[in-house]
Amino acid sequence: MILNLEIKKLKRTGYLPAFLGGALLASAFPLANMLFRPETFTAMPGNPFDILMDANWQMMAMLNTLVSICGACMMYHTEYADHGAQKMDVLPIHAGSTFLGKSVIAAFMLAMVTAVEVLILAGCALHWFPDYRPDTAELLKNILGSILFQWTASLPTVVLMLVIASACKNMWVSLGTGVILVFTLFIFPQDNVVLSLFPFSSPYQTLATAAENDRIFLFLGVCAAEILVFGVLELIYQKLRRCVE
Amino acid sequence: MNFFSLVSVELKKIKRSKILLILLVPVIMMWIPSIINSDFAFDTRGIPITPENNFFIQGYMGMVWFMIPASLVICTVLLVQTERSRGGILKMLSLPVNTAKLCLAKFTILILLAFAQMLMTVCAYCISAALVSWIQDYNFILDPLYVCGNTLSIYAGAIPMAAVFWMIACLIHTPVFSVGIGLASIVPSVLIINTKVWFAYPMSYPFYLLMVQYGKAAEGMYDTRIDWMPWLPASILITVTALVVSCIRFGAAERK
Repeated sequence: MILNLEIKKLKRTGYLPAFLGGALLASAFPLANMLFRPETFTAMPGNPFDILMDANWQMMAMLNTLVSICGACMMYHTEYADHGAQKMDVLPIHAGSTFLGKSVIAAFMLAMVTAVEVLILAGCALHWFPDYRPDTAELLKNILGSILFQWTASLPTVVLMLVIASACKNMWVSLGTGVILVFTLFIFPQDNVVLSLFPFSSPYQTLATAAENDRIFLFLGVCAAEILVFGVLELIYQKLRRCVE
Repeated sequence: MNFFSLVSVELKKIKRSKILLILLVPVIMMWIPSIINSDFAFDTRGIPITPENNFFIQGYMGMVWFMIPASLVICTVLLVQTERSRGGILKMLSLPVNTAKLCLAKFTILILLAFAQMLMTVCAYCISAALVSWIQDYNFILDPLYVCGNTLSIYAGAIPMAAVFWMIACLIHTPVFSVGIGLASIVPSVLIINTKVWFAYPMSYPFYLLMVQYGKAAEGMYDTRIDWMPWLPASILITVTALVVSCIRFGAAERK
């Protein structure tokens, strides 16, 4: 029921088109790169899919993060703009279920966006690299593995952004905090292992780089733990807010 | 009501918005990695650039590419949402004030906020350069006139972008789109700066100006002089068009 309610709330906010637009714009990066300067990439040695991922994922991940920030701000803006949150508080539902509903929707949208982007990258690799002819099982494993890894690596960012948005009544404060976090973790050195595990920094990590450094399970484990911690933080925050307000 | 009193009214509205704090935090953040890794300024990787210029340009790089556009987007959200959340815009529109004047007063606040952030940046640069000079025992402090001149030119280059963001905020009422377009437009400027049509993309102007400075400080890295010819008319045209469109469309949805 709560999921239905949350989907209905997002109906006329442009949430779905915004994510679709973000996915298409992010997919335009590898396409533009391959259309205008294919020889830069085709001349490189190694797995074409990994080459394209290395060349484009930084920007694509940044776009995903920015769209997710917008989405999280929008979700809670609809609650706070006309005192919707107060009305939700008097309904006989658990305080955390609104957050859970929003997180599930945001996670689903992120999965969709990541899937579109990884598929486009794989398509580019197949189209522009004539020697790249992996068998179906290997290709599927590559694509599914990438989608799953990039999705899990980006999820803590999305959940943390929802926590921030739920705590700030003014949209510019939550948007500002999100943008500051993106900026800060982007300019901090990316090769530091501890920093790269932080939300807002982990989305830039690619599966190939993680595999090279033998850190796939470290990333997956830490990201899952971060999601849990943020979920618990939000529940505690909800309880505290009810006492204060 | 004259223009200045309108601007002061708008300033009063954002008094308790904490916007200056939101603008200050990234300014501080952008210098922290440079201070922590201050020895990297000496590692020029074969590029003929002095360490002090390297420190200045590397520090400003994140600002021109990401911080200025993102801050402008946040400020437009502030200016738009403070009015919309309690129907304040309806009250403003019912006053005997020219709507275009009101719109321009808000735009003035937007560029004033950007100016405040530039001031903070110069101060942060001076403090961090002094700190790094002390840590590394090497003079990192550039001529203040050079730093201020560069920051001012970057600021002037950001005005067309501010006008475009303001136009987007006036035209598109769904916040997720106006904010999303603004933030998404930041990312491609890295690619567009290297194409021939960079002058048609206002989000890349501050980046371009810093790259020209980079070219001047390090031979052969980029152009050493600004291509005024296609750029100046294009930027004026973009700014004027954006401001005219925003003045026409400001409050149009509420007036219906």
